Amino acid sequence: MPSARRGVRAASGEGADPMDKEPASVRPVFPKSINFFRPVIGIALAAVPLYIVMLVYYGNSAEATRVGYEPDQPVAFSHALHAGRLGIDCRYCHTTVESASHAAIPPTETCMNCHANIRAASAKILPVRESHATGMPIEWVRVHDLPDFVYFDHSAHVRRGVGCISCHGRVDKMETVRQEKPLTMGWCLDCHRAPEAHLRPPELATKMDWVPNEDPFVLGKRLRDENHVNPSTDCTTCHR
Amino acid sequence: MNERGGYWRSLGELAGTPAFRLKLEREFAEGAVDAPGAFTRRRFLQLMGASVALAGFSGCRWPKEKIVPYAHRPEGWVPGEALRFATSGELRGCARGLLATSVDGRPIKIDGNENDPIGRGASSAIDQASVLDLYDPDRTRTPIWREGRSERSVVWGDFLAWTEDLVRDLRATRGARLAFLSEPTGSECVARLRRRLAAELPEALWFEYDPLSMDHAREGLRIAFGKPLRAHLDLASAAIVFSLDADLLDDDPAALLHARELAAARRIEEGRTNRLYVVESVPCTTGAKADHRLSLPPRAIAPFALAVLHELVFAHELEAPDRLREILRAREASDPPARAFAKALAEDLAANRGRSAIAAGYRQPPAAHAAAHLMNDLLGNIGRTVAYTADPDPERPNHFDAIRSLAKELEAGRVETLVVLGGNPAYDAPADLGFADLLARVPHAVHLSSHRNETSLLAEWQIPRAHFLESWDLSRAHDGTLLARQPLIEPLYGGRTDAELLAVFLDGRAAASGHDLAREAFGAFVSGEADFEKSWRRLLHDGVLGGSARPKVDVSFQAGPTADSLEQISHIKDHAGENGLEAVFLRDASVHDGRFANNAWLQETPDPMTKLTWDNAALVGPSTARALGVETEDVVRLSINGRAIEIAAYVLPGVAAGTIALPLGYGRTRAGRVGNGDGFDVYPLRASGAPYFAFGAAIERTGRRYPLAATEEHHLIDPRATRERERRVGSLVREVEADEYLRNPAKAMHAEEVHHPPLVSLFPPHSYDGHRWGMAIDLDACTGCNACVVACQAENNIPVVGKKQVRNQREMHWIRIDRSFRGDPDSPEIVHQPVACVHCENAPCEQVCPVAATVHTSEGLNAMVYNRCIGTRYCSNNCPYKVRRFNFFNYRKNLEPVEKMAMNPEVTVRSRGVMEKCTFCVQRIEAARIVAKNENRPLRDGEIVPACAASCPARAIVFGDLNDPESRVAKLHGEARAYGMLAELNVRPRTAYLARVRNRNERLAKREKEGHEPIHG
Repeated sequence: MPSARRGVRAASGEGADPMDKEPASVRPVFPKSINFFRPVIGIALAAVPLYIVMLVYYGNSAEATRVGYEPDQPVAFSHALHAGRLGIDCRYCHTTVESASHAAIPPTETCMNCHANIRAASAKILPVRESHATGMPIEWVRVHDLPDFVYFDHSAHVRRGVGCISCHGRVDKMETVRQEKPLTMGWCLDCHRAPEAHLRPPELATKMDWVPNEDPFVLGKRLRDENHVNPSTDCTTCHR
Repeated sequence: MNERGGYWRSLGELAGTPAFRLKLEREFAEGAVDAPGAFTRRRFLQLMGASVALAGFSGCRWPKEKIVPYAHRPEGWVPGEALRFATSGELRGCARGLLATSVDGRPIKIDGNENDPIGRGASSAIDQASVLDLYDPDRTRTPIWREGRSERSVVWGDFLAWTEDLVRDLRATRGARLAFLSEPTGSECVARLRRRLAAELPEALWFEYDPLSMDHAREGLRIAFGKPLRAHLDLASAAIVFSLDADLLDDDPAALLHARELAAARRIEEGRTNRLYVVESVPCTTGAKADHRLSLPPRAIAPFALAVLHELVFAHELEAPDRLREILRAREASDPPARAFAKALAEDLAANRGRSAIAAGYRQPPAAHAAAHLMNDLLGNIGRTVAYTADPDPERPNHFDAIRSLAKELEAGRVETLVVLGGNPAYDAPADLGFADLLARVPHAVHLSSHRNETSLLAEWQIPRAHFLESWDLSRAHDGTLLARQPLIEPLYGGRTDAELLAVFLDGRAAASGHDLAREAFGAFVSGEADFEKSWRRLLHDGVLGGSARPKVDVSFQAGPTADSLEQISHIKDHAGENGLEAVFLRDASVHDGRFANNAWLQETPDPMTKLTWDNAALVGPSTARALGVETEDVVRLSINGRAIEIAAYVLPGVAAGTIALPLGYGRTRAGRVGNGDGFDVYPLRASGAPYFAFGAAIERTGRRYPLAATEEHHLIDPRATRERERRVGSLVREVEADEYLRNPAKAMHAEEVHHPPLVSLFPPHSYDGHRWGMAIDLDACTGCNACVVACQAENNIPVVGKKQVRNQREMHWIRIDRSFRGDPDSPEIVHQPVACVHCENAPCEQVCPVAATVHTSEGLNAMVYNRCIGTRYCSNNCPYKVRRFNFFNYRKNLEPVEKMAMNPEVTVRSRGVMEKCTFCVQRIEAARIVAKNENRPLRDGEIVPACAASCPARAIVFGDLNDPESRVAKLHGEARAYGMLAELNVRPRTAYLARVRNRNERLAKREKEGHEPIHG
C-alpha cells in the first residue's frame, strides 16, 4: 500500500521525496507511533516457523493424543482383578463386541450376576448396588474416545482376528483403564495398510496373554489369506 | 435449439429470456458468491480475528464424555444399533404400513413396510417427512385450558376432573347436546368406541369432515351401483389407462400401488407396454407420465367423459340401454383437438375390452365418476381391472354435508360440548359456513391437536394429540387390511390418541389406555383366547394381519340413476364460457390441506409440477396469463362470488385455458415457526356447495410483486453452451417411441445420440477389482413424486435452508428432480428426471480440488471428505451435473435439542463452509458390508438399498455392483434404453438413465407432431 509506505518513510526522516511537498492535510499519513509495531511484526513473523514446529510437536505428543489418559471412575472396578486374576473373558461383560459396532459397557445387572452373592456387602460396590436397586445408571467416564465423524466398528475388527490388546493394550493388567495407543488416523492407517502384525486366529481375539508360537508375520500373512482380511484405506471406510 | 429432445425446464428457457441466459451462463449462481447481506468488511475482520484466536484454544481440550449404560438393559437392545418396528401412519382415513427405524430409543427414519398392501415397501414424501413432525418443537406440550382471554397450561388430571361432572350428566341425558367432529379415520379402536357411543349415548352427534374429501367418488359409486363403495384399480393388467382429472400416481390413497403397477406394466424390455391417457385441467404427476395428455378446463372434463362414451356407443357399438344412448347421442366433443382425442381414445378402449381401467379424480362431480364406472362396465373391465369393496361406513353423509349440518347445529345453539378430534376446521372449513365464529360461540369445545392452531385457540380445552409414532391403535388400509400401530417412543408431551380421548367421554377416569383399547379391538379378529397372545405378537411383528382385506363385492350397474346424473352434466357446455375464469382448488403436494405446514422438509421440497418451495401461488397457463397481462410473481386480487383474496400468480405450462388453480393449505397464521405466513390462504374463496371448482373468478392486478422461491431454473445444466458443444453433447432427457423401440431398440436410441470425437482421457483409468457401485434410474418409471428427495434428506441429515436461501439457489437437497416440458406451452409433454451425483469414474470435481477433499475410492465412489474441505467450491463449479451443495451457513446453529433427535447418527453432520453431495448412501454400503463379512459371505445383489431407492414407489432407482454381471443394475446398464447423461464429456458417469418410452397412439401422434412443429421452429 503506497500510502502506508510513504507515511513510514516520512516518519523516518527521508524528507527528499518530492511527493512530500503536497499539503499534509490531503496525504494519508500514519502516525509516528505506528513505528513501534515494526519490530513487533518482525518478531511475530520470525516466530511463525517456531510456532509451526511447536504445533506439530505438540499435536503428536501424548498430551494431545491423550495416551496415558486414566480418569477416575465412579466405581473402583479393576480390570486387573476381573479380566486378569479371575480370567473372566472380555465378552462376558462386553457382550456386543462381536456383533455390533459398540462393545457395550455392561448394564448394572451384569455386575450383579456375581455380586448379588460375592462380596455383596462390600462398600466398594455400593454404587453398583444402588444403581441396581434404583434403576439409575452408573455414569462411567469414557476413556477411548474417537471423534464423532469416525465410524469404528468393533465387530468388523474382532471377527477378523484383531485382538483387543492391539488397540486397548493389556487391560488385564490395569487397575484403572488407561488409554495406551494414540488412536490417531495415522495409527489406524498403519494397521489398515499392513495388518499382519496384529492378526491372530479370530477365536483368540480376546485372549490377552496370547503369543504366537511362530513368526508373527508369517502367521499374520497366512491368517490374512485364510480370513480374507483386506482392510480398506478408502476415506469412506471410517468417515461417512 | 430444439433439434434433440427439445425439452425445456421453464418458460424462461423456452423464450430464451435474458434473465435465463444470465442464470445459465453465470459461473456461480447469483447470491452464491455474494457476501451475506449487511455484512461489512470490518465485521468480517472482527469475526475472523475472533475465530482464529478461538481456534487455538478449542483444539486443546478433549471433551470429557460419559458412558451411561442401562441398569437393566432391555432384551434385544444393543447400544447404537438400529432397530426396526412395524407401525402405521394415516392420511385421509387410510392407514399405511410403515417400518420405523429407531436408534437408542429415537425413531429417526420411516420406510414402507413390505407387507403393506398398498405401499409394498415404498413410501411417499409425506410418510418420509412424518418423523420430523414428531420432533417439531412447536408441538403443544401440555393440555391448555382457556377461560375468557386467559390461557393456562394444566395437566391431564385437570381435564379428567373437568369431565367428571360432564360424563355423569351425559349418562343422564343420553349424550344430548354433545357433538364430535372427527377427521376420516380407519381406526378400529375409534370404530369400536363409536359403536359404544351409539349404544350408550345415542343422542350424541358424530360428524366427519375432510377438507380434501374424496366423497365425490363415493357419491359417484352410489349413483352407479346403488351403494357407496371403494374402487380399486389393477393397473398391472390394464393395457389402456384413462384418467379423467385423477392424479392416480400421487394424490390417491392407492397412489404407491398405482405407481408401482403402472411402471411394472410398461417394462418394454419384457415386452410389456401400456398406454396412459390423461385429461386434466392442471398438470399433475399422472399427466406428466401420460402418453397422451389433454388440457381441458374443469367444466369441460365431465362432458369429455360423455364424448368418449358417445364414441364408444356410436362408433364402436358398445351395448347401452336406450335411455343412455339418447343422452349420449349429441354429445360429441365440440372442440376439434378434444374430438380427435376422444375418437382415438375410444378406439383404443374398444380394442382392449376388459383390459382397460378408467378413473375420475375426486375433484370431479359425482356424475363424472358415474360416467367413468359406466365406461368400465360397458368395456367389461369390472372384475378384471377394476374391483370394488364395501364402504367402511356406508351410512355416513358426505363430508361437505356433514360440516354443513354441524354448522347448523352450532348456529342453533344445540351443541353444548363439541369435541374436535384432530383437524383444523376453523381454518379449513368452507368459508360460507363462518365456522370459526360458530366455534367461538360453543360453550365447551375440546380440541385434540398436536399444535395450538387456528382451531385450538377458539376451544376451551386443547389436549395434545399423540403422533402416530407415540400411539397404539389398529387401523385399516385403503383395501381394508388391518394394520398395527405401535409406539416407538413414549409420548414426548403426554399426547393422547383420538380413541383415548373418546374413551374419556364414555368412561371418565376409568377410560382404558390406548394399548388396552387396541388389544380389545384386536379381540374381534382372533377366534380363541389361546391364540390371542400369539396373534397379537405376530401382528406387532408383521405390522399387518394377513388376509384381512375387505372382500371384493359383486356390483350391478344401475342404469336409471346413472342416466339421470349424466343427463345433468349433459347440459354443461364443454367450452369455456365468457363469464370469467374457472378456479380449481388443489391439494398441495407439500402441506396437503395445510396440516403439514410446519414441516420444514415438506415446505422445502419443490412441488412436483411448479417446483415452488415455501409458498403456493395461483397457477395459470401461459396463454391465459398473457391474456390477463399477469406474470409470475405478480400479486393479483382474485375474487369469486363476492369473496376476494390477494395471491401471487405463477405461470405454469399445461394449465388449461381460462383456468386458475389454487393450492390449499398455505397462509396459515397458527401453524408454528415454520408454517406461519408462508404463502396465501385460499380457503376464504371456497364454498361448501362448490368445494373444488368455482366459476366466475375475476382477476385484477395490484401492481405489487411477491418473491417466490421456485427451483425450476436452479442448477441448470447447459448442454449447448457453445456451437461446438452443441454438436458434441446429446440431450439430457432421452425418449424413445415404443413401436420404434420394439422394432429395433438400437436404432431407436441412435436417434438420440450424437457423434463426438473419441473419448480420450489424460488421466490413467482406475481399476476396480472388488465392487463397482452404480445406479440406474428408469425415466419411464419415475413419477416425480419427491419421495426420494425427502427420504434422502431424512437419511443424510440434510439441512433445511429456508425460503430466502432457496431463492439464492442454496437449497441442499442431494437429489433433485428436474421437471421439463416440451411442445406447446399450453399443453406440453412433461418429464421428470431425478439427478443426484453420478459418481463419475473420470470425475471433474476430483481433478480441481486443491486439498483432495473429494477423492475416488477403490470401489469407484466419489467420496467427499468433509474434514479436508476448505470450501473453495471449485468442485461445484467444475461439476457438469450441478449436484454439489455448499453449506453457506451453519444451518444447525439454532436447532432445538428436540430437533436434533431426528438426526441419523450414521451420517456426519456437516458444518459451515463444507461441500457435500450424494454419497450413494455409503453408510448403508458399509453397514451391509460389515454384516456380510461377519457372516463370511459375499454381498448379495439387492442387499444395499440407498434411501432414495428404498422409498421409490415406482422402483425407478436400482443400485448395485456393476462388476457383477448378474446384478440387476448391471443388466439395466446393458439395456438398449440405457444412456449416460453428459457421457460425451468423458466423465464416465456411474448412473445410467433408461430413456423414457412414449407409447403413442398413431392417430394422435401424427396430429401432435403437426401441432408442435411451429413451436419447435
